[in-house]
Amino acid sequence: MLETTQRLVLTPDSVRERDREFAAAALPLMPHVKRYALSLTRNEADADDIVQETYLRAHRYWSTFHDGTDCRKWLLTICRNAFTTNVHREERSIAVEDDELESLAAARTHNAARVAGVDDIYAQLDLGPAIRAAIDKLDTVFRDVVVLSDIEGFSYEEIAETLGIPMGTVRSRLFRARRHLQEALMVYALDAGFGRVQGAPRKSTAEATNNG
Amino acid sequence: MDSRRSECEAIVRRLWPYLDDKLPETDRERVTRHLEECDDCVSHFDYARAFLDAVHAARPPANPDDALRARVLTALSDHGLAI
Repeated sequence: MLETTQRLVLTPDSVRERDREFAAAALPLMPHVKRYALSLTRNEADADDIVQETYLRAHRYWSTFHDGTDCRKWLLTICRNAFTTNVHREERSIAVEDDELESLAAARTHNAARVAGVDDIYAQLDLGPAIRAAIDKLDTVFRDVVVLSDIEGFSYEEIAETLGIPMGTVRSRLFRARRHLQEALMVYALDAGFGRVQGAPRKSTAEATNNG
Repeated sequence: MDSRRSECEAIVRRLWPYLDDKLPETDRERVTRHLEECDDCVSHFDYARAFLDAVHAARPPANPDDALRARVLTALSDHGLAI
Protein backbone atom coordinates (compact mmCIF):
# COMPACT_ATOMS: atom_id res chain seq x y z
CA MET A 1 0.00 0.00 0.00
CA LEU A 2 2.82 2.33 0.96
CA GLU A 3 4.56 1.50 -2.30
CA THR A 4 1.40 2.34 -4.27
CA THR A 5 1.01 5.66 -2.51
CA GLN A 6 4.61 6.55 -3.18
CA ARG A 7 4.17 5.82 -6.86
CA LEU A 8 1.21 8.20 -7.09
CA VAL A 9 3.07 11.15 -5.60
CA LEU A 10 4.53 13.20 -8.44
CA THR A 11 7.49 15.46 -7.89
CA PRO A 12 7.42 18.93 -9.49
CA ASP A 13 9.90 17.66 -12.06
CA SER A 14 7.80 14.68 -12.99
CA VAL A 15 4.69 16.88 -13.22
CA ARG A 16 6.54 19.18 -15.58
CA GLU A 17 7.76 16.23 -17.61
CA ARG A 18 4.24 14.77 -17.81
CA ASP A 19 2.76 18.12 -18.84
CA ARG A 20 5.43 18.60 -21.50
CA GLU A 21 4.57 15.21 -22.94
CA PHE A 22 0.91 16.16 -22.90
CA ALA A 23 1.57 19.50 -24.60
CA ALA A 24 3.83 17.95 -27.24
CA ALA A 25 1.37 15.20 -28.09
CA ALA A 26 -1.99 16.91 -27.70
CA LEU A 27 -1.63 20.58 -28.60
CA PRO A 28 -0.56 20.10 -32.24
CA LEU A 29 -3.77 18.13 -32.76
CA MET A 30 -5.99 21.07 -31.83
CA PRO A 31 -6.94 21.86 -35.46
CA HIS A 32 -8.30 18.30 -35.79
CA VAL A 33 -10.23 18.60 -32.54
CA LYS A 34 -11.63 21.94 -33.68
CA ARG A 35 -12.75 20.51 -37.01
CA TYR A 36 -14.52 17.65 -35.25
CA ALA A 37 -16.04 20.00 -32.65
CA LEU A 38 -17.38 22.15 -35.47
CA SER A 39 -18.99 19.12 -37.07
CA LEU A 40 -20.79 18.51 -33.77
CA THR A 41 -21.81 22.05 -32.88
CA ARG A 42 -21.97 23.64 -36.36
CA ASN A 43 -21.25 26.84 -34.50
CA GLU A 44 -17.81 28.46 -34.12
CA ALA A 45 -18.18 29.80 -30.58
CA ASP A 46 -19.67 26.56 -29.22
CA ALA A 47 -16.93 24.58 -30.98
CA ASP A 48 -14.23 26.67 -29.27
CA ASP A 49 -15.85 26.03 -25.88
CA ILE A 50 -15.90 22.30 -26.58
CA VAL A 51 -12.25 22.34 -27.68
CA GLN A 52 -11.23 24.07 -24.45
CA GLU A 53 -13.22 21.60 -22.37
CA THR A 54 -11.68 18.74 -24.33
CA TYR A 55 -8.15 19.88 -23.52
CA LEU A 56 -8.92 20.47 -19.85
CA ARG A 57 -10.28 16.94 -19.58
CA ALA A 58 -7.45 15.49 -21.64
CA HIS A 59 -4.91 17.16 -19.34
CA ARG A 60 -6.72 15.89 -16.28
CA TYR A 61 -6.81 12.32 -17.57
CA TRP A 62 -3.51 12.30 -19.43
CA SER A 63 -2.25 9.51 -17.17
CA THR A 64 -4.93 7.24 -18.66
CA PHE A 65 -3.70 7.77 -22.20
CA HIS A 66 -1.75 4.77 -23.40
CA ASP A 67 1.45 5.71 -25.07
CA GLY A 68 1.60 4.32 -28.57
CA THR A 69 -2.14 4.58 -29.19
CA ASP A 70 -3.75 7.19 -31.42
CA CYS A 71 -3.80 10.48 -29.52
CA ARG A 72 -6.01 12.15 -32.16
CA LYS A 73 -8.73 9.53 -31.74
CA TRP A 74 -8.40 9.72 -27.96
CA LEU A 75 -8.93 13.50 -28.10
CA LEU A 76 -11.86 13.21 -30.51
CA THR A 77 -13.52 10.72 -28.17
CA ILE A 78 -13.10 13.13 -25.26
CA CYS A 79 -14.42 15.91 -27.51
CA ARG A 80 -17.52 13.88 -28.30
CA ASN A 81 -18.10 13.20 -24.61
CA ALA A 82 -17.56 16.88 -23.74
CA PHE A 83 -20.11 17.84 -26.36
CA THR A 84 -22.66 15.33 -25.09
CA THR A 85 -22.20 16.43 -21.50
CA ASN A 86 -22.33 20.12 -22.28
CA VAL A 87 -25.32 20.06 -24.53
CA HIS A 88 -27.24 17.40 -22.60
CA ARG A 89 -28.54 16.17 -25.88
CA GLU A 90 -31.17 13.55 -25.98
CA GLU A 91 -30.35 11.11 -28.68
CA ARG A 92 -33.41 10.22 -30.55
CA SER A 93 -33.79 6.55 -31.04
CA ILE A 94 -34.22 5.93 -34.71
CA ALA A 95 -35.17 2.55 -35.96
CA VAL A 96 -32.76 1.53 -38.66
CA GLU A 97 -33.10 -1.13 -41.24
CA ASP A 98 -30.96 -4.18 -41.47
CA ASP A 99 -27.52 -3.09 -42.60
CA GLU A 100 -27.41 -5.61 -45.46
CA LEU A 101 -30.55 -4.02 -46.86
CA GLU A 102 -28.76 -0.69 -46.76
CA SER A 103 -26.00 -2.18 -48.91
CA LEU A 104 -28.66 -3.32 -51.39
CA ALA A 105 -30.11 0.20 -51.29
CA ALA A 106 -26.69 1.53 -52.30
CA ALA A 107 -26.91 -0.51 -55.50
CA ARG A 108 -30.43 0.77 -56.11
CA THR A 109 -29.18 4.33 -55.68
CA HIS A 110 -26.50 3.60 -58.25
CA ASN A 111 -29.10 2.24 -60.67
CA ALA A 112 -31.23 5.35 -60.19
CA ALA A 113 -28.18 7.52 -60.83
CA ARG A 114 -27.49 5.58 -64.02
CA VAL A 115 -31.03 6.09 -65.26
CA ALA A 116 -30.84 9.81 -64.46
CA GLY A 117 -27.43 10.08 -66.14
CA VAL A 118 -25.64 11.23 -63.00
CA ASP A 119 -23.67 8.09 -62.24
CA ASP A 120 -20.28 9.67 -62.97
CA ILE A 121 -20.72 12.83 -60.91
CA TYR A 122 -17.87 11.91 -58.58
CA ALA A 123 -15.45 12.06 -61.48
CA GLN A 124 -17.08 15.02 -63.19
CA LEU A 125 -18.08 17.49 -60.48
CA ASP A 126 -16.39 19.13 -57.51
CA LEU A 127 -18.81 17.92 -54.89
CA GLY A 128 -16.91 19.14 -51.82
CA PRO A 129 -19.29 21.96 -50.84
CA ALA A 130 -22.34 19.85 -51.64
CA ILE A 131 -21.03 16.94 -49.56
CA ARG A 132 -20.29 19.18 -46.57
CA ALA A 133 -23.75 20.74 -46.84
CA ALA A 134 -25.39 17.32 -47.10
CA ILE A 135 -23.51 16.06 -44.03
CA ASP A 136 -24.62 19.14 -42.08
CA LYS A 137 -28.23 18.40 -42.94
CA LEU A 138 -28.10 14.80 -41.72
CA ASP A 139 -29.95 13.89 -38.58
CA THR A 140 -27.49 13.99 -35.64
CA VAL A 141 -27.36 10.24 -35.08
CA PHE A 142 -26.39 9.69 -38.71
CA ARG A 143 -24.01 12.65 -38.90
CA ASP A 144 -22.17 11.37 -35.81
CA VAL A 145 -21.23 8.06 -37.36
CA VAL A 146 -20.49 9.25 -40.89
CA VAL A 147 -18.18 12.02 -39.63
CA LEU A 148 -16.29 9.64 -37.34
CA SER A 149 -16.04 6.96 -40.02
CA ASP A 150 -15.68 8.66 -43.36
CA ILE A 151 -14.13 11.98 -42.31
CA GLU A 152 -12.08 11.08 -39.23
CA GLY A 153 -11.22 7.48 -40.09
CA PHE A 154 -12.56 5.70 -37.01
CA SER A 155 -13.21 1.95 -37.27
CA TYR A 156 -16.66 0.48 -36.51
CA GLU A 157 -15.31 -0.68 -33.13
CA GLU A 158 -13.91 2.74 -32.25
CA ILE A 159 -17.19 4.44 -33.19
CA ALA A 160 -19.17 1.95 -31.08
CA GLU A 161 -16.93 2.69 -28.11
CA THR A 162 -16.97 6.46 -28.63
CA LEU A 163 -20.72 6.74 -29.03
CA GLY A 164 -21.61 3.96 -26.61
CA ILE A 165 -23.75 2.10 -29.12
CA PRO A 166 -23.64 -1.50 -30.40
CA MET A 167 -21.60 -2.32 -33.52
CA GLY A 168 -24.74 -3.32 -35.41
CA THR A 169 -26.17 0.12 -34.75
CA VAL A 170 -22.95 1.72 -36.00
CA ARG A 171 -23.21 -0.20 -39.25
CA SER A 172 -26.90 0.49 -39.76
CA ARG A 173 -26.56 4.20 -39.06
CA LEU A 174 -23.42 4.52 -41.16
CA PHE A 175 -24.86 2.78 -44.19
CA ARG A 176 -28.12 4.68 -43.89
CA ALA A 177 -26.19 7.95 -43.61
CA ARG A 178 -24.24 7.11 -46.75
CA ARG A 179 -27.45 6.38 -48.63
CA HIS A 180 -28.92 9.72 -47.54
CA LEU A 181 -25.76 11.47 -48.72
CA GLN A 182 -25.73 9.66 -52.06
CA GLU A 183 -29.36 10.57 -52.63
CA ALA A 184 -28.72 14.20 -51.67
CA LEU A 185 -25.77 14.39 -54.07
CA MET A 186 -27.83 12.92 -56.85
CA VAL A 187 -30.47 15.60 -56.29
CA TYR A 188 -27.73 18.23 -56.20
CA ALA A 189 -26.33 17.03 -59.51
CA LEU A 190 -29.76 17.01 -61.13
CA ASP A 191 -30.53 20.50 -59.77
CA ALA A 192 -27.20 21.65 -61.19
CA GLY A 193 -28.37 20.49 -64.60
CA PHE A 194 -25.99 17.57 -64.70
CA GLY A 195 -28.54 14.99 -65.70
CA ARG A 196 -29.82 13.43 -68.82
CA VAL A 197 -33.00 14.96 -70.19
CA GLN A 198 -34.86 12.21 -71.98
CA GLY A 199 -33.95 12.27 -75.65
CA ALA A 200 -31.34 14.99 -75.23
CA PRO A 201 -27.58 14.75 -74.77
CA ARG A 202 -26.34 15.43 -71.27
CA LYS A 203 -24.87 18.82 -70.50
CA SER A 204 -21.13 19.11 -70.19
CA THR A 205 -19.55 19.62 -66.79
CA ALA A 206 -18.78 23.25 -67.61
CA GLU A 207 -22.36 23.97 -68.64
CA ALA A 208 -23.73 22.28 -65.58
CA THR A 209 -21.37 24.17 -63.27
CA ASN A 210 -22.11 27.51 -64.92
CA ASN A 211 -25.79 26.97 -64.51
CA GLY A 212 -25.41 25.59 -60.99
CA MET B 1 -29.87 -17.01 -64.32
CA ASP B 2 -31.77 -16.90 -61.02
CA SER B 3 -28.86 -18.38 -59.12
CA ARG B 4 -26.59 -15.82 -60.73
CA ARG B 5 -28.93 -13.03 -59.65
CA SER B 6 -29.17 -14.33 -56.11
CA GLU B 7 -25.37 -14.53 -55.93
CA CYS B 8 -25.19 -10.91 -57.14
CA GLU B 9 -27.64 -9.94 -54.42
CA ALA B 10 -25.62 -11.78 -51.79
CA ILE B 11 -22.51 -9.97 -52.96
CA VAL B 12 -24.12 -6.53 -53.01
CA ARG B 13 -25.44 -7.14 -49.47
CA ARG B 14 -21.79 -7.10 -48.44
CA LEU B 15 -20.91 -3.92 -50.33
CA TRP B 16 -20.26 -1.49 -47.48
CA PRO B 17 -18.51 -3.94 -45.11
CA TYR B 18 -16.33 -5.04 -48.03
CA LEU B 19 -15.33 -1.48 -48.87
CA ASP B 20 -14.73 -0.80 -45.17
CA ASP B 21 -12.51 -3.90 -45.00
CA LYS B 22 -14.74 -5.40 -42.33
CA LEU B 23 -15.73 -8.71 -43.88
CA PRO B 24 -14.51 -12.04 -42.52
CA GLU B 25 -11.81 -13.49 -44.76
CA THR B 26 -13.99 -16.16 -46.38
CA ASP B 27 -16.70 -13.61 -47.22
CA ARG B 28 -14.10 -11.22 -48.51
CA GLU B 29 -12.64 -13.83 -50.85
CA ARG B 30 -16.11 -14.72 -52.10
CA VAL B 31 -16.84 -11.07 -52.96
CA THR B 32 -13.44 -10.57 -54.60
CA ARG B 33 -13.90 -13.69 -56.75
CA HIS B 34 -17.36 -12.56 -57.82
CA LEU B 35 -16.17 -9.07 -58.70
CA GLU B 36 -13.54 -10.55 -60.99
CA GLU B 37 -16.27 -11.87 -63.24
CA CYS B 38 -19.33 -9.64 -62.77
CA ASP B 39 -19.17 -6.22 -64.41
CA ASP B 40 -22.53 -5.12 -63.04
CA CYS B 41 -21.53 -5.73 -59.43
CA VAL B 42 -18.14 -4.13 -60.08
CA SER B 43 -19.91 -0.98 -61.24
CA HIS B 44 -21.92 -0.81 -57.98
CA PHE B 45 -18.77 -1.20 -55.92
CA ASP B 46 -16.86 1.34 -58.02
CA TYR B 47 -19.68 3.86 -57.64
CA ALA B 48 -19.74 3.37 -53.87
CA ARG B 49 -15.96 3.60 -53.66
CA ALA B 50 -15.95 6.85 -55.67
CA PHE B 51 -18.56 8.20 -53.26
CA LEU B 52 -16.42 7.32 -50.21
CA ASP B 53 -13.35 8.90 -51.81
CA ALA B 54 -15.33 12.07 -52.53
CA VAL B 55 -16.60 12.28 -48.94
CA HIS B 56 -13.11 11.83 -47.56
CA ALA B 57 -11.73 14.44 -49.96
CA ALA B 58 -14.49 16.86 -48.92
CA ARG B 59 -13.44 16.98 -45.30
CA PRO B 60 -12.83 20.56 -44.20
CA PRO B 61 -9.21 21.55 -43.65
CA ALA B 62 -7.93 21.37 -40.07
CA ASN B 63 -6.63 24.92 -39.83
CA PRO B 64 -4.43 26.16 -37.00
CA ASP B 65 -6.24 28.72 -34.87
CA ASP B 66 -3.76 30.83 -32.86
CA ALA B 67 -6.43 32.61 -30.83
CA LEU B 68 -8.03 29.32 -29.77
CA ARG B 69 -4.63 27.82 -28.96
CA ALA B 70 -3.79 30.80 -26.72
CA ARG B 71 -7.16 30.58 -25.02
CA VAL B 72 -6.79 26.85 -24.35
CA LEU B 73 -3.25 27.28 -23.06
CA THR B 74 -4.43 29.97 -20.64
CA ALA B 75 -7.22 27.70 -19.41
CA LEU B 76 -4.79 24.80 -19.01
CA SER B 77 -2.35 26.98 -17.06
CA ASP B 78 -5.19 28.09 -14.79
CA HIS B 79 -5.83 24.38 -14.16
CA GLY B 80 -2.23 23.57 -13.31
CA LEU B 81 -0.49 22.85 -16.59
CA ALA B 82 3.23 23.16 -15.86
CA ILE B 83 5.33 23.62 -18.98
